[in-house]
Amino acid sequence: MSSALNDVAKAPLPILQLVDVYKRFNEFTAVSGISLNILDGEFLTVVGPSGSGKTTLLRMLAGMEAPSDGNITLRGELINNVPAKQRPTCLVFQSLALFPHKTVGENIEFPLKVKSVPPAQRKERALELLRMLRLPESYYGKNVMKCSGGEKQRVALARAFAYDPDVLLFDEPLSALDYKLKKVLEKELKDLHRESGKTFVYITHSLEEAMVMSDRIAVMSAGKIVQIGTPESIYARPETEFVAEFFGEVNKFPLVRDPERGWFSADTDSAVTLTLPDSLQGAQAATLIVRPEYMRFASAPDEFDNVIRGSVFNEYSLGSRIQYQVRCGEKSVLIEIPRTLARDAALDQQVMIGWNAADAFVAEA
Amino acid sequence: MHDSDAPPVVSTGLRYASPVLLFLLLGFLAPLVTVVAYAFASPKSFEVFTSFTLANFSAVLDSSNTVWTSFVWSLGLAAACTIILALIAYPIAYGLNHAFGRFSSLVSVLFVFPLFISENVRLYGWVQFFIKNGVVDGLLNALGLGPGPEVLYTPGITLFGMVYVYLPFMLFPMTLGLSMVPRDLIDAAADLGAGRFMVWREVELPLAMPGILIGMLLTFVLAVGAVAEAKILGGQSVITVVHDIEIAFTYAQDWPLGAALAVLLVLIIGGLTLAVLSRLDLDRVLGRR
Amino acid sequence: MRTQAKIRSEFFIRSWAAFVLIAIYLPIVCSALAGLSKSRYFLFPVRQFSLDWWQRTLASLEVQTLVQNSITVALLVTLISVLLAFFGALAFARYEWKGRKLYQKLLLLPIFFPQAVLGLALLLWMNALGITPSWRTAVVAHLVWIVPVVTLVIAIQVYSYDATLEEAAIDLGAGRLFIFKEITLPLLWPGIWSGALFAFLLSWGNFPLSLYTAGADSTVPKWLYSKMVAGYTPMVPALGTMSTLSAASLLLLGGAVIAVIRRRRQK
Repeated sequence: MSSALNDVAKAPLPILQLVDVYKRFNEFTAVSGISLNILDGEFLTVVGPSGSGKTTLLRMLAGMEAPSDGNITLRGELINNVPAKQRPTCLVFQSLALFPHKTVGENIEFPLKVKSVPPAQRKERALELLRMLRLPESYYGKNVMKCSGGEKQRVALARAFAYDPDVLLFDEPLSALDYKLKKVLEKELKDLHRESGKTFVYITHSLEEAMVMSDRIAVMSAGKIVQIGTPESIYARPETEFVAEFFGEVNKFPLVRDPERGWFSADTDSAVTLTLPDSLQGAQAATLIVRPEYMRFASAPDEFDNVIRGSVFNEYSLGSRIQYQVRCGEKSVLIEIPRTLARDAALDQQVMIGWNAADAFVAEA
Repeated sequence: MHDSDAPPVVSTGLRYASPVLLFLLLGFLAPLVTVVAYAFASPKSFEVFTSFTLANFSAVLDSSNTVWTSFVWSLGLAAACTIILALIAYPIAYGLNHAFGRFSSLVSVLFVFPLFISENVRLYGWVQFFIKNGVVDGLLNALGLGPGPEVLYTPGITLFGMVYVYLPFMLFPMTLGLSMVPRDLIDAAADLGAGRFMVWREVELPLAMPGILIGMLLTFVLAVGAVAEAKILGGQSVITVVHDIEIAFTYAQDWPLGAALAVLLVLIIGGLTLAVLSRLDLDRVLGRR
Repeated sequence: MRTQAKIRSEFFIRSWAAFVLIAIYLPIVCSALAGLSKSRYFLFPVRQFSLDWWQRTLASLEVQTLVQNSITVALLVTLISVLLAFFGALAFARYEWKGRKLYQKLLLLPIFFPQAVLGLALLLWMNALGITPSWRTAVVAHLVWIVPVVTLVIAIQVYSYDATLEEAAIDLGAGRLFIFKEITLPLLWPGIWSGALFAFLLSWGNFPLSLYTAGADSTVPKWLYSKMVAGYTPMVPALGTMSTLSAASLLLLGGAVIAVIRRRRQK
C-alpha cells in the first residue's frame, strides 16, 4: 500500500492550490473552508453525497463561480476572479452540454472555431480526436443528438480535449449511463488520463468510480474535505464513521468504557478488544467499525481477538463473494467471505463470528 | 399512453379534440369560406354563392385604384414594428430568464396585464399624453418651454402605437424561446473559450430561435391586421388594409370588394403562418420535452 | 461568475425593463388623471381633482347596461372556453394520436389572425346564416379567439402532468370517472384556473371582436371607442380606469387562488 505522502514525493508540483476557500449562497454555505493541493498530472476524485458541495467546488475550479473567501491559485497565480474562458481548465458537465444544433464534428471543433483556427486544420484535429476517443470518422457529420449515451460521452471528451486544457474537470459525467457501459468508460477514462498526461479532477458520489480511476480520493461532507488519500488508504483506514460508511458496508458497534469491564459493547453484551487511536485515548464512548469482509466464521472462541455468537438469518450472493446476515440477539452483523468458503444450508445455523483488533477501526462516538 | 381498453374506433385524442375542432370549423373556417365566397360575388352586391366574378380582385389590383397603398402601408408598418419589437423585447426576455431572479414572475405579470385592458383605452391614454394641453404640451407650457411637439396624427405615432400594443406578443414567445437554452450549454461554450458575442451567435440565438420566430410571426401577423392604432393615434394619416376592408363593409356597402381585400390579406398571413409553424415542433416549445 | 461586465449588463437590462414598464403604464395613468379631473376637457397639469365623473359614470344607466353585457359575455366565454379547452388541451398535450401535430397547428391559427378581420368574417358568416348580431354572437366571436388561448394555457399544465399516474390508478382498481375526479382534475387545477382567468380577462378587455359582432348591443370597450371617436366626455377615461382596476383586482384575486392551490399541494 503506497501512502499519500509517497504520491506527493513523486509529483511534488501542485497545479491548482486552494487555501481556505469558502462559497456562500445567501444563507447557505456550500463550501466551508477547503484547503487542497491538486498535483500536476494526477487523477484526483472528489467523492461525497449529494449536497456535500462537490459540484460547487468544481465550478469554482472551472471559473463559473468565484469563491466568497479564500484563494485559488493556478501554478502560483491567483485566479479567484479569472473567468472560465480564460482558464486552462475545461469542465465536462453532468449533462455533457453538447450543442444539440451542431454535428459531432462542429461540437468538437467549437473551441478551435473560437480560436479562429482555419476550417481545414479544425477538421483534421477533429478527426484525430475522433480516432483517439475510438469513434468512427464517419461520425464527423452525424447529428450529435442521434448518438448513444456512450458516444455522446466520447464526443464531450473530444470537445474538451480540442480545447487542450491543462486540467480537465468532470462533473459526474457517467452517472446517467448503464452499469456495463460505465465500467468500460471508467477504464477508458483512466487510460486517457495516462495517455494525455493531463490533470483530471473528477467528482462523483459513486465509490466504485472513485476506486477504479483515482490516484487520490478526497472525501467531502457538508462543505468540508474530511479525508484525502490513496483509494487504498481511504478504504482501509477511514478516519471517521462517515468515511467508513461511505466507502462500503460496515458493522457498527457503539462502545462505552466500563470501569470494571473496560471497553464494552452494549449491543452484544461483551467486552471488546481493540486498538484505540491516540485521539480517543481519554474518551468514554466510541464507535467500533468492522467491514464485513474482515469478519470470519470462528471455529473456537479464541480463534480471533473478538468472537461473538449468533444464528444465520439470511445469505446474499454477491457473485464471487457471499454475505451472511448473522443475528446476535437484537444485533444484525454482516459477514462477507469468498464463495469458495460458503457454508452449506447456512440458514438458522448457530455460528461464532470473529475479527481481529487490527482489522477494525475506532471512530468518535 | 393509449387506454388499455379494447381499441376504440376513434382515438381518445381525437375524441377530446373534436369539440374544439367542431367549434373552430363553425366559428373560424366557415366564416373564412364565406369571405372567400363573397370575394367572388358581383361587386357591390350581396349575391353570395350565386355569382362568380374576378372583378373584385381586378379592382383591388387596378393601379388607378389606391387600395394597394394601404397594403404597402400595413406591410411596411408591420415589418418595422416587428423589427423594433424584437430589439426592445430581447433584453427584457433575457432578463426574465436570467436577471430578475425572484422578481421575474412579478415582472411578467406586469407585462401581461395590459393584454387585459382593451387597446383603445390604452391608446387613448397616449392621445391624452400627446394632445394639445395634454401631459407633454401642458408640462412644457407650465415650464415656459413653449408648445409641445405635434406628434399625434402622423404615420410615426401609428407605428409607435403598434409597437406599444403588440409588445406582449413578442415578449412572451421570446422569453419562452430563451428559456429553452440550457444554462449548461452557455457555461460550456464560455468554458471552451467563447466570448459573449460568440456564445450568443453560436449557442443562445440558434437554440432560442423557435421562440423568437413565433414572437416575430405573431407580431407581424397581428400588426398587418392593425387598425385601432391608425384610427385613434394616427388620425387616419395612414389608412391600413383592415381600415380599407372595414370601409368597404360599412360606408361603401361593397362587401365583395372588402372580402377580396380580406382574402388577399388572409393569404399573406396564412401563408406566412403555415410556413413558419410547419417548421416548429410545438411539443418542444411549449412542453420543454 | 459575476464579473464587472455582467453586473453592468444586468444593470442595463433592469433599467431597460423598468423604462419599458413605465412607458406601458404611462397612458393608463394619463387616463386615470383625465377621469379624476374636474374639467370637461383634459388639461395638464390638472387644476382641480374631483370624483364627479366617477360618480356620474357609476350612476349612468347606460353604463350599467354595458357593464352587465360585458360581464355576461365574459362569464359565458369563460365557462364555455374552459370546458372546450380542457378536453382540447388533453388532446393537445396528453394523448399521442395520429392527427395531433396537425391539430396543434390548426388550433393556433385563430391566435395568428388579426381580430378585426376575424370579426368582419364572422359578421359575413352570420349574415349568410341570417343571424342578427347581438351580445350572444359576440360570445361566439370571443370564443373563436379565446378557446385556442385557453387551450394553450391548460396544455402547458398538461405537459407537466405525469400520465403514468392514471395507469397506476387503473392498476389499483380505479374507474375512469374516479380517476378523472381524484387525479386528473386536481392535478390540472392550476392550469384550469389560469385558463379561466385568462378567458374572463381577455373577453372583458376585447374590443375588435365586439365591435363587429355585437350588433346593436354594446360592451364596455366598444362603447368607450364610440365615445372616443365622437362625443368625448371624461366618463370615457373614468370608465376606462374603472375597467382597468376591476381587471387588476380580478387578476390579483385569481392569482391568489392559484397560489393557494399550489401551496396546498406542496404541503
